[in-house]
Parts: sequence; C-alpha cells; structure tokens
Amino acid sequence: MTPWTVVRDGSRLIWRFVKMHPVAFSIAVFGAAMFAAAILASALVIGWITDNVIIPILDQGQEPDLLPIAAAAIIGVAAFKAVGIVLRRTAAGWLQSGTRRDVRNELLAHQLSLKMSWYNKQTIGDLLAVADSDVNQGTGVLGPLPYATGVTMLLIGTVSMISLIDPWLGVSAVVGLVAVIAIDVHGSWVTYGMWEEVQEGRGRVSSIAHESFDGALTVKSLGREHYVSGRFREASEALRDRLIEVNSTWTKYQVIIRALPQLLIVLLLVVGAARIDAGAITAGNVVTVAYLLSLLAFPIQLIGFVLWDLAGSLAGWKRVQAVFDADAHIEYGERAATTDGGAAAILGSAVDFAYDTEPVLTGLDLDIAAGTTLAVVGPTGSGKSTLSLLLARLWDPDSGQIHLDGRDLRTFAGSELPKEVSYVAQDAFLFDTTVRGNITLDAVFSDADIATATRLAGATSFIDELPDGLDTELGERGTTLSGGQRQRLALARALIRKPRLMVLDDATSAVDPSVEAEILMALKSADLPSTIVVVAYRPSSIKLADEVVFLDEKRILGHGSHIELLEASPGYAQLMQAYEKEARRLREEAS
Amino acid sequence: MSTDYTTGTIIRRAFMEAPVLRHGLRLTLFMAMAGQAITVVTPIVIQQIIDEEILAPTGIDMSGVLQKAAVALVALVIGVVVGRVALLRLVKTSSSGLSDLRSKTFGHIMRQSVLHVQAERRGTLVSRVTSDISTLQEFMEWGGIGLIVGLSQVVLATAVMVIYEWRMALIALGGVVIYLMMMRWFQRILAAKYDEVRHEVGVSLGVMSESISAIPVVRAYGTEDTTKARVASAMEKRFRVEFTTGRFGNILYSTAEIFAGILTATLIVAGVLIGIDQGMSAGTLVAFLFLTNLLIEPLQIVVETLEFAQSAASGLRRVIRVLDDEVEIEEPSDPEELRPGGLSVRFDHVGYAYPGGPDVLTDISLEVAVGSRVAVVGETGSGKTTFAKLAVRLLDPSEGAIHIGGVQAPKIPLAHLRDRVAFVPQEGFLFDDTIANNVRYGRTESDDAEIWTAFHELGLGEWVDGLTDGLETRVGERGGSLSAGERQLVAIVRAWIGSPDLLVLDEATSAVDPVLDVALRHAIARLTEGRTSVTIAHRLSTAEGADEVFVFDGGRIVERGRHRDLLKLNGTYAGLYADWASGTNSV
Repeated sequence: MTPWTVVRDGSRLIWRFVKMHPVAFSIAVFGAAMFAAAILASALVIGWITDNVIIPILDQGQEPDLLPIAAAAIIGVAAFKAVGIVLRRTAAGWLQSGTRRDVRNELLAHQLSLKMSWYNKQTIGDLLAVADSDVNQGTGVLGPLPYATGVTMLLIGTVSMISLIDPWLGVSAVVGLVAVIAIDVHGSWVTYGMWEEVQEGRGRVSSIAHESFDGALTVKSLGREHYVSGRFREASEALRDRLIEVNSTWTKYQVIIRALPQLLIVLLLVVGAARIDAGAITAGNVVTVAYLLSLLAFPIQLIGFVLWDLAGSLAGWKRVQAVFDADAHIEYGERAATTDGGAAAILGSAVDFAYDTEPVLTGLDLDIAAGTTLAVVGPTGSGKSTLSLLLARLWDPDSGQIHLDGRDLRTFAGSELPKEVSYVAQDAFLFDTTVRGNITLDAVFSDADIATATRLAGATSFIDELPDGLDTELGERGTTLSGGQRQRLALARALIRKPRLMVLDDATSAVDPSVEAEILMALKSADLPSTIVVVAYRPSSIKLADEVVFLDEKRILGHGSHIELLEASPGYAQLMQAYEKEARRLREEAS
Repeated sequence: MSTDYTTGTIIRRAFMEAPVLRHGLRLTLFMAMAGQAITVVTPIVIQQIIDEEILAPTGIDMSGVLQKAAVALVALVIGVVVGRVALLRLVKTSSSGLSDLRSKTFGHIMRQSVLHVQAERRGTLVSRVTSDISTLQEFMEWGGIGLIVGLSQVVLATAVMVIYEWRMALIALGGVVIYLMMMRWFQRILAAKYDEVRHEVGVSLGVMSESISAIPVVRAYGTEDTTKARVASAMEKRFRVEFTTGRFGNILYSTAEIFAGILTATLIVAGVLIGIDQGMSAGTLVAFLFLTNLLIEPLQIVVETLEFAQSAASGLRRVIRVLDDEVEIEEPSDPEELRPGGLSVRFDHVGYAYPGGPDVLTDISLEVAVGSRVAVVGETGSGKTTFAKLAVRLLDPSEGAIHIGGVQAPKIPLAHLRDRVAFVPQEGFLFDDTIANNVRYGRTESDDAEIWTAFHELGLGEWVDGLTDGLETRVGERGGSLSAGERQLVAIVRAWIGSPDLLVLDEATSAVDPVLDVALRHAIARLTEGRTSVTIAHRLSTAEGADEVFVFDGGRIVERGRHRDLLKLNGTYAGLYADWASGTNSV
C-alpha cells in the first residue's frame, strides 16, 4: 500500500457507491455547495460590514444608517446556510443508509447463490460480521463525503477569492492548503494498516468471548474460568496496544491539522500587512481573508476525516469484497419440477466426492426403486451424511451422476428440485417465528395438511401442549423446545411438502427410541408418495426399512434387507450387534 | 444492591472498577485546558495585529507585525504540543482502563452460575464486552477530548470576552444559554426517535443473522426468494426509519445556524451602539466576531458530543449492571478443604427452582458412598440434569444442603472443588483448537505424552492415532469437525486426565454410531473404575451395571435400588428399560 493506492482504491470504492445513488449524491453535493457558498458569502459580508459599517461608524464617527442592512445580510446568509445543511445532511443520510441497505441485500442474494463448499469454509460469526460491521465500516466514508466535496469547492472558492483580492495572498493560501491535504493523505496511508490490525484485534476479542460464553458449562465444570479469563485479557490488551498505537499516530496528525489554519492566518496577516504597506490592498481585504480562514479551520479538518474514514472504509470493504468475490456459484439447468409423479426412483452412478482432497465417496453406485424406504447404515465417517447431502443436491458429486426418475439433479432450475426432494438434517434449524411458520416456511398449506404432517411426525401432542398451539412463537432458534421436539417439527416441515424423495439424515436421533420407531412406522404405513432415505443408528429403526445399504470404506459394501445383510455382511452384523454384545458383557459382569 | 444508576453513579463505579482511568486524570485535564488556553493567545495576537498594525492610522510598522506574528506562532506551537501530550495521555489511560474494565466484566460473567450465562442470550453478553466497551472507548477518545477541549475553549473565549467588554459578553452568553436550551430540547425529542431506529436496527440484524445461519435450510427447501424478500423488507423498514429520523434531526439542528446568525447580527448592532457612546474600537468589535465564532464552533461539537455521551453512558450502565449482578456461586468465607481420597456425596432434602419458575427438584435425599457407581435415570424433564449440576456445585440448591466428602459444598474453595470433582456434560463442548489443547483444559500442565497415554489407557489410542494429525488435529468451531460421539470421547479424556475423586457424567442423548458408542462406553467404564461416580444414564445398560439406581420422575426420586430389584417392581424403571431395550435389538 502506498499513499497513492489509498487514493486510487478509495476513489474506486466511492465511485461504486455513488453510481448506486447518483441523485442523492448530487443533491447532497448541491447542499454542500450551498453551504460552501454561504460560508464564502458570510466572510464577504463580514468584510463588507467591517469596511463599510464598523470602521466608518466607530473609527470615523459616521451615522449608523447601514446597520439594519448589515444585520439582515448576516441573518439571510445564515438562513441560506441552514437550507444547505438540511439538503446536504439529509441527502447524505439517504446515500449512506440506502447504500447499506442495498449492499446487505446484495450480500445475502450472493451468498444464497454460492455452493455449500464455500459456505462450509466460513464461520457464521464471520459472515455476520461482514454483513453487519464490515458493511457499516466499508460505507463509513459516505457520511462525510458530500460535506468534503462541498469543502473542496469551498477551498477552491476561497483560494480563488483570495487570489482575486491579491495574488501574493493567493499563493500563500495555496501553499498552506496543499500542505494540509498532503499531511492528511499521508496520515490516512500510515493509519490504514493499523486500522486493519485493530479490526483483527476486535474480531479476536469478540470470538474469544463468544466461544467462552458458549462453552461456559464446560469451562466452569473444569474450573478453568481463570485460564479463559487470562486468554481474554491477553486479547483485550493486544487490542488496547493497537488502539494506543493508532491513536497516538492519529493525534499527531490531528494537532497539526488543527494548528495549520491558525498558522495560515498569521502567515497571511504578515503577507497582508506587507501588501497594505505597499498599498496593494485595503485593510478590509485582509480582514476578509483572515475571517475566511478562521471559518475554514473546522471544514479543513473534514477533508482529513474523509481520508481517515476512507482508510477505515477500505479496510472494512476488503472483507465485504471477499464475499462478493467468491464465485463458486451453483449451476442450474432449465428443468421444472414434476410434483405429481408419485414416489421417484433414484439412480446414482460412479459417484466420487471429496470435501477437500481426502475422498469421502469413491465409485458409488446406488439404485433405489420408487417408493422404497431405504436405511443407510455405516460407521462414523463412512459418508452417510455426505450421501444424503448429494441426494438433496446440497453438494454436487465431483464426478458421476445422480438421477431422480431419470433426470440428472443438475438439470433442474433454481428452487425447482426442492419441490420434489425434502431434506431433513440432524441439527433441526428452527426460525424465530411460530410453529406454523416453521412448518409452512411461508408457503400456503391448509390446517388439515398441517395436522396430517404433524401427526405423522409425532409432533401433535407436544404442539397441543404449547400455550398457543400452532401459533406459539418459538423464539430464537426455537431454544424453548427440546432437541427431539425440534427434530419432529423439522420432519413435519418436510412431510407437508409431500416430496417425491425424502432424505432424513439422522433426523430423529434426539427422539426417544420408541417414539422414533412409531414415527418410522407411521411414515411407512401412511402411503406417502415418497421414496424415503433414512440415515439411522438404532437397530430398531433400521429394521423397519424395506432395504438397507451398508456404507463403509467410502462405498456401498452391501445392499439388501436387514436380515440378508446380517448374514451376508460381517461388518454390518458387527455394527448392528455391538449393543447386544455390550449388554451381554455387562450382564455377565454383573452376575 | 442499588438499582439507581444515575450517570454520576456509573461514572464513579467505572473509576472504582478500573482505577487506571483516574490515573493522572487531573494533570491530563489541566494540560488539555492549558494547551487550549495557549492556543487562544493566537487569535488575540491576530486581533492586535489587525487593530494596532493593519488598521493603525500611522501606517504599518512591519517589524511590529513580525514581532507579534512570532508571538502568535510560538504560542500556537506550545499550545499544540501541550494539547497533544494531553490527548495522548487520555488515549493511554482510557485504552488501558477500558481494557481492564472489559477483562473484569468478562471475568465476572465467567464467574456467574451456569444458569445465568445460559439464560441470557449469548450475543447480548458478548456485546457487553465488545460493542458497549467500544462505544465507551470511542467516546473517551474522540468525544471526551472534544468535550474537554471544547468546554475549555468556551470558558476561555467567555473569559476573554468579559475582559474585553462585559456588556457584549453578557449578550453573547445570553445567546449561548438560549442556544444550549434549544439543543437540550431537540435532543429530548430526538432521543425517542432514535430508540425506534435502534429497534429497527436490532430487528434487521436479527433477520439477517437468521437468514445467514439458515442458508442450508433455505437451499434445501428452495425458499431463496421468500428469504430475500424477508431480509429486504426488514432492511427497507430500517432504512425508512433511519432516513426520516435523520431528516427530522437535520431540520432541528439547522435552526442552530440561523440562531448563530441572529447572535452575530445582534452583537454587531450592540457593538456599534455601545461603541458610539463609549468609544469602543472597530478592532475590538471585529475581535468579538472572531471570539463568537470561537465560542459557537465548540458549542456545536459539545452538543453533538453530549448526544454521543448518552449512548456511551447507556453502554456503561449496561456494563455496570453486569458487574452488579451477584455471583450466585460464591467463594466460601470460611473455607474448608476436602480430605484426600475418594469423595462421597450427600443430598439432604434438596429442592431447586429456577428463579420465578416452578420446582424442578423437590425433597431429594440420597447418599453416594465413596467408590460406588450410581446411575440416575428418568424421562426428559424429570430433573436429572439439574441434579447433576447441583452435585458439582454449578448451581446451589434453593432448599436443603449438599455435602461433598463430608464437607458442606458452599464451604469448599471453588478451585479446589473443581480439581477434585469432574463433570462431563451432555454436549462435550470443544474449543476451536487442537485435540491435545482441548484435553489440557482438564489439567493445564499435562504434556503431549501424558495426553497420548491417557487416550491409550482409555482404549481410544486407535481412534486418536487414526486422525489426520493425531493429537494435533484441529477440531473446528465448537468441535464441528468431529462427530457428536467423538466430541464426547475428547470430553471423557479431559475428565480422566484431571484424575478426579468424584465424577458426575451426563450421558449424551443423541444416538451415535454403535461401534463408537461401544468405545465410548468402554472409556466411561475405565473412567469410573474405582471412583465415586454419578451417571445421568440415557443408555439403560449403564444402570444395569450400577451399584444403585435412582429413578427420577417429576423432580422427585420415585424408585431406588439395584437394576434387578427395580425391574421386579414393574414401575417407572421397568417402563424406561423396556423402551430402551426395544431400540437396541438387531433381530
């Protein structure tokens, strides 16, 4: 980063924003120009009043005839300035808030179009920080931007006016102002890197706090509060040091910027005195110039603020841009869903898949007849969840294809495949809305449909016990419900859509075993228009399936009924009988 | 405990909690004001140059101009340097003080009982140690300095005005008072509007956060469009409120400009009128216009800063509230250490209710002898987990008493208690670190060899060696790259390495892969061997092997005894057992 790149990248960023709301920006700049003009006008008026009212009356004893005009002029200029301020600030507010709104909408739309492979590499906390504080910081420069644009006009106006009054005064003013801006740019460049570090430090403090509060039960049960507090203190102190560093640099520049206008006034007075002495200008001229510069003392600092904000904005925007730059878009075809075709058959051929480099599935072939209830069984890490994610096209195979009723999943248009396939994960995500809203997800379903779905999912009885039944608000992430209850709601959400393929990835793991068996029984006997694929651990559940595939060593090692596999596949038998063996061992031990 | 948090109270409290904040504060304030005072010399000298040199009837004396200019420059340089030193001092003390306050607040939250940390939304607690403190920090660095510098500038400008011409000063001051009153009034109107803005900001963030977390579900159900629409409508609402509030505030504040104009005009008129009678010079009047400018500019800053101060004060108030929350699990005032060796547990008529809620546990009396293995069973919501938390003093009972190793639980120093007693919660929480470092939470001084041995002793050597990086494998956020069962494995090794004398274990409810489950059960068996252990059992096979089983129902112990005898009762336990057994038969 050089001072030049801060200016260049900053201008590009500003241009991107201005393009989004050109009208608001123009109005804001117009307001700022009015404001600038008002400041110039007020200096002129003061100079004129000094020359034509104050000095003649007080020093030369003239009559105060012009006094009312002087007063009216000052108030008139102030009113003009007030209108400028309202225009500028209001339009700047539209520009900044509107840009934030648009960028956030764009961000979400972009994230929704990206593949899970990208999403999985992010932490949710980070993505939220990007959508919230990084967008705020990235657009921070928009607040003072119109003002600064106005101030720039003001400066140009001032310098021109001073030059008109006297070229020598003009040259001194130009030299002074260029010095101020050069110092601002330099300071902005120096602090840019420091701000990045401060943001990192903030992120670290926040993530340690998040993690520690999240794991509070564990921390406290291990008596490690002091250790965790020490870790937090370290991060907090690192942040403190960075803040002190950046602020001490900032203050160094700030005092210079504050002092320079005063310095300029003194300089101009000296030059002005010499020019009066030479008979080139009047005393009123010098007073005008001096007053002009005293009014500029604060606006000049504003150019500094914009450049500082620009450094901060660039640092924040870098993280926003990183999300926009992710281009792992899902590719969709043109196909529309066929929702009334009844249960669908599945054919997977030569499917390879890896999350990174380590293969999870290799050369997997799978043939499921329409209407089958299939259990997927296998030890931890055998790829069961991966297979279910592939069937719902949350991920795509690296090679090979998966067909639903002879149609490759990738040929479906966006949002079409979910009309035929419902996927339920182990970790049931509930929205901060009612039970009903969580089941329908804003689609239209009749109460009878909802009743059927909740009954099949074994959720009716606990929903009835909630204070407002289906209309009970569940709160953030549905934390008022137990894990098993959440899973049953997620199941009802899938069932109500009458999918042609339903994929349940360990979706009833937190439900009591007898209830789980009841649910699976109900699903089987309900005559659903669905093929059902269930990832399950409990033998009781697996026994209910029409067919079982046994997944191990990254492929399918057996496919048949539970009884057939028990005989044919030693690995399968070993897995299924593990509980019984353990129970037998304990019983022997006890007796 | 006082619930009255006036601004004065919270500021005093902040100084008390973070004494560094007060460190050298007087000198800093003095320097800030001195710096400002010296800079005021410059406009005075400027006035003199104008009055005595430029407007002098005898013509301009350049050497006089230069002399005075030199004085102005020297004053400026000294003022600026002193001012900067003051700023720097303030930045240092505020950064250090607020970092201390942040660490202290964090430590206080960590000392709160588990109940507290879990009940409040975590995000809210995190913002206590992040954004609330940051607001304070920003206020102290920008606003605080602005306030000090601005106020001293106001005071000095006023003083200079009074010295020059007291009648004019009176007019200026009267104007300033009206101006300030106007601003106060505007602020009060705006404060209500800003509450609305904050509310919409909160709502829009909530919607955004939920949508991002729900991306997999959104994808699976094809609800991209409704999700986008939901976020867009929340964002639009927020934008509308932000914009209209901003517009309203701008119109209010712009009247201040008009007011400043009226004040300047009044001063000119008054100055001229006074001047005609009393011989006030043109230079003095011009200087007055400069001084008025010098007065109004910081006033605007001071007013804006006061607004900022309000949000900083409410942040500080929230922080102080957290610090004032009592630590429910307190260190004993008359500590009593546990004797070495195995530990017993005794509950005497213990009851527990969450604040304002119904009883979770009622009249629990039981004794766990040294070295015995006890199982607690019951349906979801029967109070088992609360019982476990009471047994390790993560909660204190609302009624009755608990003794550990014969000592009243509240008398045992907490660090000592945690050293001797281990609790393995249902969800083994893992930190985003390596496996070895996660185990080390159980005993900080363990080296890698000890940790490796521990895995092998528990029969988990094969599992850990099979991981890509062995002990150095990173487990991801919340242990996300391991399965639930594997996380439980690490939690068990973590408990084992601390070699506790009492173990309380809350079995995971979720089904895990049977082979892993068996490994887990072996490890648990090794861990409980020869130790006093209380297991909250979801797998009823645990109860089969226990010395005694306590059956909980509706917060009470309804049955107790050995597995075999309990089965014969054909009551609650027999029902639970039948349910469990139905889930595990493979044929």
